[in-house]
Amino acid sequence: MSSEPRAESVRRRAVLASLGAGATALGGGCVRRVRTLTGWSAAKPVQIRIKTVPVDADPYALRVARSIAAWFRTAGVDAQVVPMATQELFRQVLLQNDFGAFVGRLPLEFRSPDAFYPLLHSRFAGASGWQNPFGYTNLTVDEHLETQRHRSDGARRTAVVELQQSLARTQPFTVLAFPDDVRTARADAMRDWSHADLSSASGYLDLDADPGSSVATPTGETGTDRTSTLRIAVTDRRATENLNPLAAEFRRQGGVVSLLYDSLGVPAGESVEPRLADSWAFTHDAGAPRASVILRNDATWHDGEPVTPEDVRFTYEFLSDTSLGTADDETTDTPDDPVPAPRFQGRNSLVSSVRVVDSETVAFEFVECTPHVATRAFTIPILPEHVWADRTGTASLGGIEVGPATEALVTSNVPPVGSGPLQFVRNTPREVLVLEPFPDHFLTRDIEAKSGLSMEPEDETKQSMTAANESEQSLGRSAGLDFDRLVVRFVGSDETAVEMVADGDASVTGTPVDAATVPRIGRASDLELLVDRSNAPYVVGYNARRPPLTNPRFRQTLARLIDQPTIVDDVFDGYAMPAVSPLARTDWLASSLEWDGSNPVTPFLGNDGRLNVDRARAAFREVGYQYDGEALVEGN
Amino acid sequence: MGLLDVLTQVGAVVVALHLVALVVVVGPKQLWTLRCGLRTKLRTIGPSLGVLVTVLLANGVVRNVGVELSWIIGLNITGGIHAVEGRFVAHLQSLATPPLTAYFGFVYVFGYVFLLTFPLVAYLVLADTRPLHTLVVAYVVNYGLGLVCYVVFVSYGPRNFMPELVSSLLYNSWPQSQLLTSQVNVNTNVFPSLHTSLSATVGLLAYRYRERFPRWLPLAAVLSISIAVSTMYLGIHWLTDVVAGVALAVLSVAVAMRVTNDADRARSRTEDSIGGRERWRRND
Repeated sequence: MSSEPRAESVRRRAVLASLGAGATALGGGCVRRVRTLTGWSAAKPVQIRIKTVPVDADPYALRVARSIAAWFRTAGVDAQVVPMATQELFRQVLLQNDFGAFVGRLPLEFRSPDAFYPLLHSRFAGASGWQNPFGYTNLTVDEHLETQRHRSDGARRTAVVELQQSLARTQPFTVLAFPDDVRTARADAMRDWSHADLSSASGYLDLDADPGSSVATPTGETGTDRTSTLRIAVTDRRATENLNPLAAEFRRQGGVVSLLYDSLGVPAGESVEPRLADSWAFTHDAGAPRASVILRNDATWHDGEPVTPEDVRFTYEFLSDTSLGTADDETTDTPDDPVPAPRFQGRNSLVSSVRVVDSETVAFEFVECTPHVATRAFTIPILPEHVWADRTGTASLGGIEVGPATEALVTSNVPPVGSGPLQFVRNTPREVLVLEPFPDHFLTRDIEAKSGLSMEPEDETKQSMTAANESEQSLGRSAGLDFDRLVVRFVGSDETAVEMVADGDASVTGTPVDAATVPRIGRASDLELLVDRSNAPYVVGYNARRPPLTNPRFRQTLARLIDQPTIVDDVFDGYAMPAVSPLARTDWLASSLEWDGSNPVTPFLGNDGRLNVDRARAAFREVGYQYDGEALVEGN
Repeated sequence: MGLLDVLTQVGAVVVALHLVALVVVVGPKQLWTLRCGLRTKLRTIGPSLGVLVTVLLANGVVRNVGVELSWIIGLNITGGIHAVEGRFVAHLQSLATPPLTAYFGFVYVFGYVFLLTFPLVAYLVLADTRPLHTLVVAYVVNYGLGLVCYVVFVSYGPRNFMPELVSSLLYNSWPQSQLLTSQVNVNTNVFPSLHTSLSATVGLLAYRYRERFPRWLPLAAVLSISIAVSTMYLGIHWLTDVVAGVALAVLSVAVAMRVTNDADRARSRTEDSIGGRERWRRND
């Protein structure tokens, strides 16, 4: 069809010439011919911009993107890498959906099957944040996602296996590899660095100070004071600028925010254990479970206000509509569109209603799902109503309202008022964020319970216990939080982060560093090398709203241009494992999707990293695309 | 703490370089004349100096705002630059040896600070304030236009764009230096290279006023060329940035010459009118 573009354009020109000759001369047949011709449009070369972050922000993403772009170009796709700051990448990909493809890591939350519900369900194709940023719509996948919510055991497992197989075939994103996160820490700062999970916030809470030094890094500011500071060097500056739990473009894993804001429960392996909740009880009738949640009666916000059941009810309502129905109230009479938060939508979609029962009990009604899945809804951070209720208005710039976003979504939320184990001290954007343990948090007080004392609800006892805590700081430290300050400092690159730790200016590198720094870490005797198998894979995400990426067969063929072992060797220095399924490092992995030396679903169209151009072209032709010379084209 | 160490180190080295250069370039005899008429000279160039200080202070404040603004309105030209010049920087870096890296690293940090500050001191010795005035105005133009470019263009340097070919030599060999450089600039501001444009400005003015300090010209020439090369050698800037930097330098020197000539002419006119021309000549 496209083999005769020239003849076609000559004919078109002839038509235009006859048009110019005089409208009167035009017979009905000629106009019909014009209409017929205009139905044919010229073929366009396929162009894909791959957005990602620069090396300073992520040691591997850009190199991965460039390898992939090179393979794409070899296959005739006009591919280019566009580097941008992390926050900007998230804004363009997650909020504006302005991308062809992106390379990055899936956040850690995507390791349980139900986490994929918001990521891939078609009902979230129009939502922002990590709610289906791909614009992926697949009814079969929707069904599997629904099934895994309300079936248990065997049926659920089958649905999850089939879900993974569908994803591997239709490729909303291509899983590349699960990296090993390399970090370094000062051996003299804490005991047992290697046992802490430093990819999650709770890992830092579990750290034990070395009894020999009894402090993390002595602070110069306080001289001989017994205060100890845990200093974390990170290459992601976003937490120093913005602490809004709802701002999707500022959150990496949400780690810092989860230290500031407690949720009813916290994930513990596959299950969820109570945190802000004292306990919960489920009643399961007719598919939709209900739960009665009893709150701890001793939880307070960092500003001293008590945490109430009202706050819990407010949070769940607020997340599904941050305007609380008040946006735009003057201009239109029609009911306002809700403005959901760009985070937590998947978990919040499990909840159908929240009701305050009494001063310490909240009743949850869920949608049709198993209680096991329903408890995931308890891991959403609880927000103080007295702070966030004022943020329901439409955000404005100098009094002018811009777009639908509410104040809640755009506020930097500094200083944050949470109820978590750490509270905000100060921040300097792009430089530093300082947190300290919140003395009234029950985690610090539970130490007494651990050491033999029982928890008493009476106020008097509580006060005396706090006092005891203060006088026995050393006991408090060794049992609970082993630092008096947590300083998150932004540095320009991985090498600088490692050097900060080597110089004693930081205790640990918070963000994983380039594997190329391993020899440097190995040479220094007081540096500990920490290598953890990460659950957050590198992926290429595609924008399924844009042709030709709308076509699953096209995406599948793109995936076959990527040689994962080559990426693992060249980019990751071997510090990664290629994978097919995003659940590859969980028990949920479908056995048919195990990596067996090559990709079982989308095998590489070449050998040893060298793409076989003829095979690649044949593969694209087979799924309905053509070549114009060297270039892959779409259309006719 | 790390930053303070780096600052102290840079300060100490630059002061040492200044002392040596003052003796070699300016000479003790001429240095002695610095005491005379210092106040008058400072008063003459005071306004320009004030503008420079203001621009530098504003630079610090505006930079953070500029970065945010840049992501909203700026043009991401990284891919375009790479398409134009390809692997030039990678080829340059293939010549890397440890001594070269040490030299260029030194030049990039210490040499640069020295090159920019030394003429300020040296030209202050001269009775004629025009060289100093021109230099200060040229700095102002450099910073001002550079800042505008940084807002309009978003671009990452080669070390951030093609890490498999270009390594970040400075930060790999001396990671702490990034504590300093990240205080001065952010990694999206590479077009044009202000390192190059300011160095070239000093080089051009050293040539223009070569009869004042004959020994300064070769030193300034070697340093400013080394600095321009070092920005590429260390993987921080593209060739395009350097070329744009040189162009910016030429433009700002031209502007500065025009401004100071005009200023001098205006001053001599006013002094004419009060009959002060003779006195002016005699002072010279």
